[in-house]
Amino acid sequence: MNDPTLIGPCADYEHDLVELHDGALPPERAGIVRLHVTQCARCRDWAQAFASLDTGLAAAMPRVGLSADFEARLQERLAAPSRPTARGDRLGRLELEREHDALLAALRRGARRNALLGAIGSATAAACVFVAARDLLRETSGLLATVPGSTEPWMMFSVVGVAVAIAGLAWSAVRGALPLPGLAR
Amino acid sequence: MDAGIEQHLAAGRHARAFDLVVPAYKDRVFRLAYSILKDRAAAEDAAQETFVRVWKALPGFDGRASLGTWIYAITRNTCLMELRRRRPTVSFDDPDSTEAQHAAASVATGPAADPEHDNLLRLLETLPHNQQEAVRLFYLEDRSYDAVAEQLGMPLGTVKNLLHRARKRLMELARPDEVKAA
Repeated sequence: MNDPTLIGPCADYEHDLVELHDGALPPERAGIVRLHVTQCARCRDWAQAFASLDTGLAAAMPRVGLSADFEARLQERLAAPSRPTARGDRLGRLELEREHDALLAALRRGARRNALLGAIGSATAAACVFVAARDLLRETSGLLATVPGSTEPWMMFSVVGVAVAIAGLAWSAVRGALPLPGLAR
Repeated sequence: MDAGIEQHLAAGRHARAFDLVVPAYKDRVFRLAYSILKDRAAAEDAAQETFVRVWKALPGFDGRASLGTWIYAITRNTCLMELRRRRPTVSFDDPDSTEAQHAAASVATGPAADPEHDNLLRLLETLPHNQQEAVRLFYLEDRSYDAVAEQLGMPLGTVKNLLHRARKRLMELARPDEVKAA
């Protein structure tokens, strides 16, 4: 059996036959090709087989179209550009959760670092004041003892120590360096 | 159509230009995305993503290429990124690759109602990816060579060649007599 798809058309006319079928052949050439087809069985059979395939493909191609709300959804997306698409919702949510967790971890790290620095700072300041106060008290103990109603040196020493501790805590609190319960999750 | 858009662009009225761009290009952008992704929902998502990118990049559009060429290039890039996201290791250029065939089958629309059409679509899946795209787009665009050339960013002659080779191969594969008997 002469299968036109296997034998093929005349080589000179193959492309022209396709373009003639698609309506893309210039009129003058189209006339020549049409005349040839009337005289050549091979080209005629091949053109018919091609037309059959073309019709089949056109019919087989799904008729797809955009949803009616395409533009409305696009406008919504443009109004909130970071919002993920419906298909990306799950991935988007996971990504947001990851970002949220990373942010919290960074905050906790920062708070820990600040608390540590605050504690070191407070201890150093307290030690310096403690040493200075001790020397001062040692030098002025004679004078203090001569003042009537004056406090004992050790009490002065304690008062200065408490004041330094309060000052250290206040400084840490102002800097937000204290590990407050609100940050722990 | 593009003249009005370009006037707005030239005047720096990007929002007004964009308002004209979407209705003018949305269907062709969607069909191009569908011809590449072979899935209606994915094509619609890609079309949305394309217009979001167009919206962001419109102020930087310099007019060196035509607006359509520029938009279709964004569409193709968006679709290629989607394909890479799905199957990063698959080469779609190798139609004989088992993985490529599985990937293609997994993204193809459900079987056509007519067995003859179903058979043709299955045969189409066996062709090289660029031929598949050209054929799909050609029929989605009512057999317009010019539309296919513009949307795929190829010279007209290349598109004609691709379509010719693809359909000739399909003729050989389909054997009209067998298709009719199916």
